[in-house]
Amino acid sequence: MTAEAAPSQTFAHSGKFFNVLGLALKNAGLTILTLTMYRFWARTSMRRRLWSRTWVLGDPLEYTGSAGELFRGFLISLPCFFLPAIFVFYIAPIAMEPVAAGWLTFGFYIFSVPLIAAARFWMRRYQLSRTRWRGIRLGLAGSAWGFAAASWGWWVLQTLSLGWYTPAARINRARLMWENTRFGDQPFQFETRNGESPQKGMWWPFAMGWFGTAIGGVLSFIFAGAILAGLTMAGLINVEDGGMMVGFLAIVLAGAFTAIAYFISFAPYRAAAMNRIAAQITIDGARFRLKAKTLSLLGFETLGWLFLIFSLGLLTPVAGFLQVRYILNRLELIEAPRFAEIGQSVLADSDAGESLGDAFDLDMGVGVI
Amino acid sequence: MQARYADGRAAIFSEAEIEFAPEKLIIRTGERAIEWAYADLSRTDDHNGRIVLRRRKPDTGERLMFDDWNDEQLAAVAPQLMKPRAQGVEGRRTVVALMTLAWSLAGAFLIGIPFAADPMARAMPEKYRTQIADISWSQVNAFTAQCDDSDEATQILNDLAYRIMERSNVPERDDIWITVADAGFPNAFALPDNSIIVTDELIGLAEHPDELTGVLAHEIAHIEHNHIMRNVVRQIGAGIFFDVVFGGAGAGQAIAIASVNLAGLRYSRGDESDADSRGMDYLDAAGISTAGIARMFNRFEAYEEEAGAGDIPSMLSSHPASRERAVAAQARAREGLAPSLDDRQWRIVQQACGGADEPAPGEEREAPETGATGAD
Repeated sequence: MTAEAAPSQTFAHSGKFFNVLGLALKNAGLTILTLTMYRFWARTSMRRRLWSRTWVLGDPLEYTGSAGELFRGFLISLPCFFLPAIFVFYIAPIAMEPVAAGWLTFGFYIFSVPLIAAARFWMRRYQLSRTRWRGIRLGLAGSAWGFAAASWGWWVLQTLSLGWYTPAARINRARLMWENTRFGDQPFQFETRNGESPQKGMWWPFAMGWFGTAIGGVLSFIFAGAILAGLTMAGLINVEDGGMMVGFLAIVLAGAFTAIAYFISFAPYRAAAMNRIAAQITIDGARFRLKAKTLSLLGFETLGWLFLIFSLGLLTPVAGFLQVRYILNRLELIEAPRFAEIGQSVLADSDAGESLGDAFDLDMGVGVI
Repeated sequence: MQARYADGRAAIFSEAEIEFAPEKLIIRTGERAIEWAYADLSRTDDHNGRIVLRRRKPDTGERLMFDDWNDEQLAAVAPQLMKPRAQGVEGRRTVVALMTLAWSLAGAFLIGIPFAADPMARAMPEKYRTQIADISWSQVNAFTAQCDDSDEATQILNDLAYRIMERSNVPERDDIWITVADAGFPNAFALPDNSIIVTDELIGLAEHPDELTGVLAHEIAHIEHNHIMRNVVRQIGAGIFFDVVFGGAGAGQAIAIASVNLAGLRYSRGDESDADSRGMDYLDAAGISTAGIARMFNRFEAYEEEAGAGDIPSMLSSHPASRERAVAAQARAREGLAPSLDDRQWRIVQQACGGADEPAPGEEREAPETGATGAD
């Protein structure tokens, strides 16, 4: 008696670029007019649109969150984050001894690392709890602070290893997130097959990215220096009049070139990591396969960055949409879970909105699912 | 009519028959008949040809999906489900309320706090003022050097300032202290602890003692009218507003940090005009011609033109247009008054910090028409 739709593919996104762009422009206008207070409504309407155009086995996802919940989460984050931040950055410098105020600021930044991780976890919990498919709610179990503590440890290892622990850290984070993710009462698993390394296929692209960035960074400084030397010789810049300005310009230019080198060099790694993570996610015996390719990934990411930069961040959701569409249109489900046996979620609803997720602006105005 | 129904207990849809009764929707799946009141429903359509209905509260996960060519039937019995609000789109009232809230907050922080800045600044405990001054001094020490040879010049300038303040009965006259600092740019500024810093390059820029005295009078007026602390309060208010409203920890902090840093000590145009006016009152009362400060304003303008806007020291660039100020000061100038310092004193002041390191831009310009030297 079941009536499964007959999809041409397991996952699909039917969102149209100009449709999303139109909503993003309207949201941007209202966000400006309301001095950004509209951002919660903007985020909600964009998610609603993107979710409803995401098809899984022929049926759409559904976003049931409301702007009021996000706004309430923001109000909750005021005393939890903004008041301490206001004290640290505004009151402490004038009310405390300079050394003590300095330590307090340092401590605040250190504490921010796990806090951002916890915020990401809370945000994901909220978004999953407001996502339904065929009426069944998704959810995220586990402890945000446990995730934060683990993330902090991995962050330390990444720092101490000059970045070389990154592939392992990324897999570890994905494992912790996905093993706590539920579709209804059915947990996702994150596991490798045949004893393979969880990071299989990620190390070489990572090495390419690491060395590419290092070499690109050195070349960037040489290139920036050459450009400025050329401009100086052409008489367009007078070093004597503005030595500091030229130095600053050189650093900015070199920094920009290095960022581009990083962006391009690590593209194979990003594609490999996405594919590898997808390959390890299972639910009720069904597996996933993502076919992200370096060039196509680089193309949509570049487009997204251009939107982000030239709109001064106002059209960031368009970049988010491109990302969502890219992934969904390349994602496959191998075998099907027994949907008739997947019951409603028993996890408690997240009732604190996204709280700190808004403070740290973690989700490109769309979502982190 | 055919539809698909999910009962919210399993991730599957079942075939269903639906009937749009006048008050309620009747869903028949096999032997079961489920009734939903239209008033309890909302829509979560897939925007791809299918209407999706659900009950608002509590959301049990039940869903009803049918093709949207049946929307006329739905509209006939439940017109409220045709409105954007049924799909969660906010109404104009929400947008207007948000705009009102946002601009009210902006008004409170960006207009209310500046309006109340004076009493708030005066109510600020002395400890906080001292702390802000310490931060300002650490900034000053970062880009200036102390002069070992300027004790006599410093004393001359402080005696001159005291004489001016005494004539005008400035309440802070016993707390104000002028320091000459070695720096690579012409500047003068007041700090929250009532200190006034004068750089050797500014002294080098002046060609007559009255020009320097005019600048000192201007800075004293900033202190008497509490402009510095008012400015700090204004900047902190703006910083908190931007942090809270924009939801991030960036723009607001930059403003707030600037507010307690020297670079942030920029006055409003109103404060500058007020300090100009009050400073010239001091000069009048002390029998010093305002022609000196008029010439100094002209020199600032020349400096700005030669140095370029990007290189103008903050204390000069934040001032209103120098030409207008020069005209205003010249209009109040009186002739026949003695210079504020005699030749010997002026020479000592000019030699503070070994004299200006290099000729500052504008220093070699021709003297303004009002006369660069001599008593006006």
